[in-house]
Amino acid sequence: MKRLLLLLLVLLLGWIGYERENLWAFPDIISAYTAKEYCSCRYVMNNDAEYCRGYVKQWLPISQFTDDSASKTVTVSGIGRSNSAQWQNERHGCRLIP
Amino acid sequence: MFKGLSLFLLLISLTAHAEQWPGEQWPGEQWPTGPKITGPAVEALETYAFPPRDDSTRQGIRTDALLIIRDGQIIYERYAGPTTAQTAHLTWSISKSLMATVLGVAYGEHRFKLEDPAAQYYPPLANHPGIKIADLLHWASGIDWQEDYEYAPLKSSVVAMLYTRGRRDMAVFAADHPTYAEPGRAFRYSSGDSNLLAAALKGMLGPQRYADYPWTALFEPLGIRRAVWEIDASGTFVASSYAYLTARDLARVGLLMARDGRWQDRQLLPQDWVAFNREPFASYKAGQDEAVPGGHWWLNRAVDGASSPWPAAPPDTFAALGHWGQALYVIPGHNLVVVRYADDRDGSYRHNELLARVLKAVQP
Repeated sequence: MKRLLLLLLVLLLGWIGYERENLWAFPDIISAYTAKEYCSCRYVMNNDAEYCRGYVKQWLPISQFTDDSASKTVTVSGIGRSNSAQWQNERHGCRLIP
Repeated sequence: MFKGLSLFLLLISLTAHAEQWPGEQWPGEQWPTGPKITGPAVEALETYAFPPRDDSTRQGIRTDALLIIRDGQIIYERYAGPTTAQTAHLTWSISKSLMATVLGVAYGEHRFKLEDPAAQYYPPLANHPGIKIADLLHWASGIDWQEDYEYAPLKSSVVAMLYTRGRRDMAVFAADHPTYAEPGRAFRYSSGDSNLLAAALKGMLGPQRYADYPWTALFEPLGIRRAVWEIDASGTFVASSYAYLTARDLARVGLLMARDGRWQDRQLLPQDWVAFNREPFASYKAGQDEAVPGGHWWLNRAVDGASSPWPAAPPDTFAALGHWGQALYVIPGHNLVVVRYADDRDGSYRHNELLARVLKAVQP
């Protein structure tokens, strides 16, 4: 039994080591996705704020959301990470910063 | 002498305008409108495309825009949800075919050849020296890319590219992937391949000219005034995903393609370029994707022993397709261009069903 658990632990650590880059980046997905696609929904497609909140909704919850309409900057936090997207100009729309 | 000169001038003006047919309709600042289609077949089309919409559950078919152009004139147009005729709508992967069209103009300017190694224009591809521009256009780079997004977010190359590890420089991120097949031998749909094309274009033009090129080369000649194309932090266009156009403006690109790359009297895309776009990739295996890949466009062709992807539509139909139901369909033999924007979240939408109903609705 102990041997089996040890084997599983080794396999798990091996997997974590193998996937470490993907695992480290994974928690950023929800806040980065929400910030970027909300920014584009609101400031590129010019849809209203309420529609855009529904448009970016995912099954994972976010903990914080701010949309500074003066600087057209959207900041979102979720699963311990925070990401911002900002509208650049008429041609180039929004992008994640940095 | 004077007679000879005027004959010469006449001949020159005839050659310059030789290709525009008399009476042919083109959009100017606005699209011309033709007789609106009506009747039970149009109602059947609307029943399919515009069922009652629920923005809270986001279930079912959720068309944002449906625009039908025949013979260069609007014959049907309807918007839903928040989208209007003025909305520059996200096209998602239609962007890929738009990048191919921008590249077509560069091809006409002799800035590259299809058989050129992509690394010639994009040095970070030095670790993949065998990849040609044509291979990227066929989504056949051989780069080991994972396109799945919603079902395998941890392993998805495209999610990492757009939102996390790749977002600062998406082409470098794609180039850093290993190889799984020899270039040009196997189809694997890849947003990385499309963004490598966007980076190669930068190498062909230089960064200065590149920043405006989609506008100067394609949008402005077509009279498209409000296109948006987002870039990554390195200034490379996100050719895989992030072009935004109104439905009417996207239809202009469709009309350009329907008329073999000609815009009024100007051959904006060489005819051999459009022929390449519409030629099935020879190593494509039936069932690998929802339609048959050509040169960064999707074709309704019967290949590899399988039937055509959209049996209700004629075999000359081709399309630019994007996530969540975005589509630009071109049916040159029927002089038809159809734009559909949507926010389909559950995959219930069928291209074949829409095309079947559009074709019935436009019958005289």
